[in-house]
Order: sequence, then structure tokens, then C-alpha cells
Amino acid sequence: MDNPASPARVQQCIWEGRIPLEIALAPSESRSYDKTDTYMASPDHAHTFTQGTGGLVDALNRSRVQGSHTFHRCSQGDWPSEDLVRLDENGMVMNDAFINSVKEADFLRNGTAKGIMTLSKEDSSGLWKAVEEVDLSSFQRISQILLPPPSQPFRNVPIRIFLPLPPDEEAGLLKVVQSPLPPFVSNSTGAQSASPRSSPGTQPQTIGGALHALLPNLFPSRRTPVLAKPVLHGAVLPMSAPIEEVVRCSAYGDGWAYIVVRMMG
Amino acid sequence: MMLNCDAVKSSASPLSAFPFLTAEEFNCACHKFAERARSCTAAQEDGGWSSNHDLFSLRVTKHVEVQAPASEDADLRELSRPTVPATSRSMTASTQTDVQVRDAQDADEEPEEEEAKDPEALIRTNLRPTLQLDYDIVLSQTYQVPVLYFTLRWHNDSSPVGLDTVYQYVVPQQYRQQLQSVGVMGGISLGYHPESGAPAFFVHPCNTADAMTHVADERLITGETYLLVWLGLVGQSVNLHVPREIALGNGASSS
Repeated sequence: MDNPASPARVQQCIWEGRIPLEIALAPSESRSYDKTDTYMASPDHAHTFTQGTGGLVDALNRSRVQGSHTFHRCSQGDWPSEDLVRLDENGMVMNDAFINSVKEADFLRNGTAKGIMTLSKEDSSGLWKAVEEVDLSSFQRISQILLPPPSQPFRNVPIRIFLPLPPDEEAGLLKVVQSPLPPFVSNSTGAQSASPRSSPGTQPQTIGGALHALLPNLFPSRRTPVLAKPVLHGAVLPMSAPIEEVVRCSAYGDGWAYIVVRMMG
Repeated sequence: MMLNCDAVKSSASPLSAFPFLTAEEFNCACHKFAERARSCTAAQEDGGWSSNHDLFSLRVTKHVEVQAPASEDADLRELSRPTVPATSRSMTASTQTDVQVRDAQDADEEPEEEEAKDPEALIRTNLRPTLQLDYDIVLSQTYQVPVLYFTLRWHNDSSPVGLDTVYQYVVPQQYRQQLQSVGVMGGISLGYHPESGAPAFFVHPCNTADAMTHVADERLITGETYLLVWLGLVGQSVNLHVPREIALGNGASSS
């Protein structure tokens, strides 16, 4: 049996996770006088996560009391094309967006776009299929080809940070922050690095360190969440977690960690 | 953010991270490019090239006039122009044609300007469906190269705008097969505009850095010439052409 905290075990937990969803028609969309029954579902966590739903759920659940969120039904005729990408019935738009995202993560990790190019055509389409079918073992086999071995650090760590929504706004555009994040930073204290992988004078960049560097107003401390906390897959991330380790074991299917900043209090 | 482009390397000296652009080099190149375009007649007629000072992007808007299918053969004058893409028979781009005529013939005559002075021509134009094309050049946070985003909007027509619209009316015929044969669904993807968050098409940037190293001289290239060369590589495939005046003004027309 694996160590309960091993990266493989963490990844497995995330893939096995489920998001309870209650899908209801907005009153204006309902054809019945009274109220249309709601539809309960709990899609696989990893599956919905690749489609951005996970990040959305993390973001919408920012308040302590979990509210319900109303989404509108969209048919072809009244599709809000100013706001939403229109998907096709063959799923090509989604597939393409996934692969583009995989390429970006690959480019950040290696500094070149070569990794994804070396995948065979079968593996390339197999990666998306594995995500669609929530097939963790196929996913792991293919993503191992893309990931540098654990002994070789990423060049940059693929992380996007979703900023909190304004308090009064139920829906709206999530502001995303992205900046090149190397896995190691120079060691200001001069202490010997705890990680054997880092070169002398450097230490692993932590979640707290990265948030402080990118969003100093929201994260005045590198070690303690003061005004806001980082959330990934519905869980609060430890500020001391090395960013590369977080991404290696708990990235979304496309290789990115989408961290949501949730205000405290 | 304050920009002091005169002090920045981007305007006149080699780039620090070629084939990549730093945010500062890109922002200054956009700024200079838009300044040059403001003093260029063709660029102004082309719907305008402007840099967005807050967001640091370069925007070009143009209108593509699309003939109704019933009157496909009606306007032979326009269809016979050498610059209209061969199989886009139903498409003429009035503003863009003007720029291309200059490109192709380098002639002194300016037929489009005559038409612009003719009030009847304007009325006729307004009745036809037109496609408004908004191009935005922004720097990719991941790839550190410019990315060309564009959105389409119909005027006088309520058809939805999809990838097929792009290939039918925006991509010149000679680029279609090449563009459609790569990736999951071709070299043009659908995503969200990094600034506005609205759905937008974009030309996928993952091969841009490689392509730039093949066509540009690392020792000589500046931010502005980088943008020009890049526009030559990427813009043409989605019908965005740099007015000759701008290119010549940069002394980069030979690259």
C-alpha cells in the first residue's frame, strides 16, 4: 500500500473526488407554473475539473455559507455568444482548448514546445480520452512522457491564480494572474537548502512565497494567510508547500494548478 | 505603469531575449507601431491601428463587406480586383482592398477614395452584410511572444459566427489547407480574450518563437521590426496586412 501522502495517492484522491451539483432551471426558463424539479449529479472531480468547473466551484464557494448558484439554460438560438465560447457537438472545441492548455503547461515546464510534439498521435488523442473517461492509469502513462523526471526541476511551474470576485457580484469575469514561476528562488537567509535538487543558495519556492511575490497586498506574509487563503480542489493549500510539488501531484488534467484566492472572514 | 520607451532597448537596439519578447519590449513596440500608424493614411483608412495604453495591446479594426448570395455576380467591378482572395468570391474587403491595391500595384491612382466620396456607394455598402473584424495583438504570458486574437461580428446579418465563418470569409484561400491541417481543429483556436474575457479566435502561438528564429536576424531585430516580421508571418493567414507605408517607414520592408 502506498504511503497515504505520496504524490500518487494524492493524485488518485483528486481523481476520485466528486463535486455534488444541483442543476435547476432559472424560474424564467421554467415551462411549468410552479417549479421545475432540480437535477442532482455528482460528476467525477477530475472530469469536471479539466473543464474549469472545479475552479469555478472553488471560486463561487468563496463564502462560508455555501450558496446555490443559478445558471441559465442556453439553446442554440439564445446562446450568449458575447460571453461564452460556443461548443460543437463533436467536442472538438473542448478537445482543442484542452490540448492548447497542455501545450502551454509543457512549454512552461521545459522552456520549449517540443514535449507535446514528441507524443505519438495515439498518445496525444489518448490524453484527452483518458481525461474524458476518467482513466487515471492511461492518463498517468501518457503524462509521464510529458513530465520531466522528479530529479529534474521544472523550468517554470504552470500555475494560474484566480482572484476573488467582488463581494456583491454573483457572476462575472474571474481575474486571472499568471507570471513565470521558477520552482526555486534565491535563499535570502543564506541557509543550506533543504532540498537536494536545488543549487546552492536557492530554496524551493512555496505557495506562500509565490502569492506574496505576485499579490503582496492580499498576501502580506509568506507563511501565514492573513487576508486571504489559497484554495485548490476545494482544499486550503498550506502556505509552506513547494509549488512544484503541488503541481506535480495535484495539477488538473491539463498540467496546470488553478489556485483560487478566497477572502477570509 | 509608466513607460519610457526611448530609454528601453525595444525601440532601436537588439532584443534581450530573442526570439522572445519581454513585456516592456512588447509594450514599447506596440506603442511605437501605433504612433507610426497614426501618421500613415493607409493605416487610418484600414479602420485604424491603435495601441491600448492601459492594456498594452495593439488593436486593428476593419470591416469586410460580404455580398448577399443572390447578388453574387452583381458587382463584377469589385470581384475583378486582383486583390480579392480567389475563392472568397462572396467577399470583398473595402478598406483592406485599398491597402492591398497599394501593395500590389504601388499605383498613384486611388479608386477606393473615389468610391468613398460617392454618397451612393456608401448607401449601397450599408445595406450589405458586413463582417466587423477586431484584431488584438497581445503578449502571451506563457510563450512570451505576440498572439493574434480576433473577434467577428456581423452587421446586417444575424448568422452565428463560427470557425467556418473564419475559414470562409477571413482566411485567404492559399492559407486554408495549411491552417486546417494542423492540431485538433486547425491552427485557429477558440478561447477567451486575455483582457476582455470574451470569446475570441486566436492563431495558436506555440510555433511562433521557432518561426521567428528562422526568418529574422537576431543581431538586427528590434521590437518594432519584430512586430512587423511577426505580422507578416501570422497576420496574412487571417487577412491582416501591414500597410506598406508603415513597413517602409520602419526600413524593414526587405526582411
